Amino acid sequence: MSTRILIEHLARVEGHGGVFVELDGDRVARVELSIFEGLRLLEGLLRGRSYEDVAPIVSRICAICSVAHTVTSLRATERAFGVTPSPQTELLRDLLFRGENIESHALHIFLLALPDYVGAPAATAVPEQWQASVALGLQLKKLGNLIQQTVGGRAIHPVNAVLGGFGALPTIDQLLSLRDALVQGAADAQAALDALCALPDVGGCEADRQVAALIPPGPYGYYGGGEIAIARNGTQQRVRADEYRVLAAERSVPHSHAKHSLFGGEPFMVGALARLTVNRERLTPAAAAAAQRLALKLPSRNPLDNNKAQAVELVLDIDHATRTVERLLERELRPEPPPTVHPRAASGTAVSEAPRGLLAHSYTYDDHGRIVAADVVTPTALNAASVERDLRRAVEQRTTEDLDGLRRQLEIIVRAYDPCISCSVHVVQKRHAV
Amino acid sequence: MNRPTVGIFGLSGCAGDQLVILDCEDELLDLVCLLDVRDFLMASSDNDETCHLDIAFVEGAVLSRRDATRLARIRERCEHLVAIGTCAVWGGVAAMDRDADRDQIITTLYGETGRTYDTSPAQALHELVEVDCAISGCPIEKEQFLGAVADLLNGNPPLQPTYPVCTECKMRETACLLLRQGSTCLGPITLGGCDARCPVLGIPCVGCRGPVDDANTRAALAMFRELGVPAEAVARKLRTFAPVAIVAAPHGGDR
Repeated sequence: MSTRILIEHLARVEGHGGVFVELDGDRVARVELSIFEGLRLLEGLLRGRSYEDVAPIVSRICAICSVAHTVTSLRATERAFGVTPSPQTELLRDLLFRGENIESHALHIFLLALPDYVGAPAATAVPEQWQASVALGLQLKKLGNLIQQTVGGRAIHPVNAVLGGFGALPTIDQLLSLRDALVQGAADAQAALDALCALPDVGGCEADRQVAALIPPGPYGYYGGGEIAIARNGTQQRVRADEYRVLAAERSVPHSHAKHSLFGGEPFMVGALARLTVNRERLTPAAAAAAQRLALKLPSRNPLDNNKAQAVELVLDIDHATRTVERLLERELRPEPPPTVHPRAASGTAVSEAPRGLLAHSYTYDDHGRIVAADVVTPTALNAASVERDLRRAVEQRTTEDLDGLRRQLEIIVRAYDPCISCSVHVVQKRHAV
Repeated sequence: MNRPTVGIFGLSGCAGDQLVILDCEDELLDLVCLLDVRDFLMASSDNDETCHLDIAFVEGAVLSRRDATRLARIRERCEHLVAIGTCAVWGGVAAMDRDADRDQIITTLYGETGRTYDTSPAQALHELVEVDCAISGCPIEKEQFLGAVADLLNGNPPLQPTYPVCTECKMRETACLLLRQGSTCLGPITLGGCDARCPVLGIPCVGCRGPVDDANTRAALAMFRELGVPAEAVARKLRTFAPVAIVAAPHGGDR
């Protein structure tokens, strides 16, 4: 007899998606992550647009990852036209990425995921003993937004990051306020960790997993990097970031019209857990201590550990951001007129780590600096195959025949990936299969 | 209105306007005391999908039959429909080339399978249903959202800015990017309320908030022409965030 589980519209995630599972007796016949986000076709609409217009348009792919989209886009265009940003610009961009990561992770951990662990439908409805944690989460989220406002000019869709540099530089007063906020943030993060350590185990699923993450050029970070590491069972392969398409190699799967990203024929996971797995030697002492307190063992077999990995990155980013702000205060920011851009017929590719994982932008321009072709590969699209495989494992490993319980488990697993479905349609489009 | 029932919805877009609501970190807990939020899928897994709503905030453009059906359903069940964000108000970036050959773009991006997808050219909410109040912005400004909530709670129609970005830019005493540098700054014809966020950073306005009500587009175009900005570049910029407005004003909006 066939049993169906349908999650029509996933809650507490960004965008529109659902889950469909079909059991044929004990056999798992079908598992699908369906995505029904409207197609905005931005890569298609970019064709013919001038290089100057590209970053503000692609920023709109996703609000939560708008720094990653904007700056990765700028870097791809700079690489096409041979523009090299100054060290000061690189430092500010690194800081901007950390601001986005802090905001995005605080939002996910405390507002979207935490309710699952404490049996509440929303962060605004958690039992009294968890309300202080939600308040801490909101303060951390605000800190991330303050960094984005200070450097990027706006918390969502940063306007201040432009080709080759920034429109205006943060003032000394702004940097001093930011430093104070970061000091408070470091304390808030430690208090929040106390709460996260006390969260009950809510399951998930167990499986060997392949992960992929960018190797940062310097300290653990999200901006820049020329190589992607793909790790599994303690072994690691590397591919050049320019060759990101190797990872986005798409395969049709029999159970849906969707195409899946595989490496070596296997799904892979991107995001905070993947980054920590690949770069665990680069953790700051405070971040390493956080991982230990959260009992996060790497490599991990459970996708729910992505929630813990995000908490570790929160600590790490506050650490690094504090140091960056101190450096900026010591050396004083100097106005640098943005370099003159000479458009030419050329291609440029840039790969970054968005909060949810690997993000690639690649453009081909004509002589006049107009887009001939644009390719954007987003982390949620890369994760789709891995999400489905984990959902399948969770159904296979179920310890209960209670369908509602199983349904909740499946939701918790999808949510742990922190999917950003607005982004995902920019490579993978899936049909609702019911 | 005493603790109105509220729904917060996203159609197709980047979720930036819902994120602005969640970005009200200092006000969020007070907001849920003042508003009885019944349906907010991005933030809650316990939603009443059928109850009457005093206020529905809707972001995103309509890009599929599914979006259109959801919007019609939201309209039926709500008293005040508030469009939030440039996509909901003007179609936004997805509408920038509404007349482009969508089938061709879809098959280029998604292959033949793309032909089976539920997809339609982007539309602003007002093209399909009656909209009671529009808060534009890409994304909306937090203060305007909170102000609209306060107005609605007090039974007043939400007041939105009626002046262009230029006005705020002058009030902030910014050196004019257009006249001094000849940049393609859309400040003169773009709805204010952002406190001239971009020009004060030295970045020309890209028009992300859509046109101001009495935009004198014809005069602005003449000025750009005088400054030597190619007409094609201006047209392209005008089409990016609020193409519906350009269609709505075939004579250049000159009043």
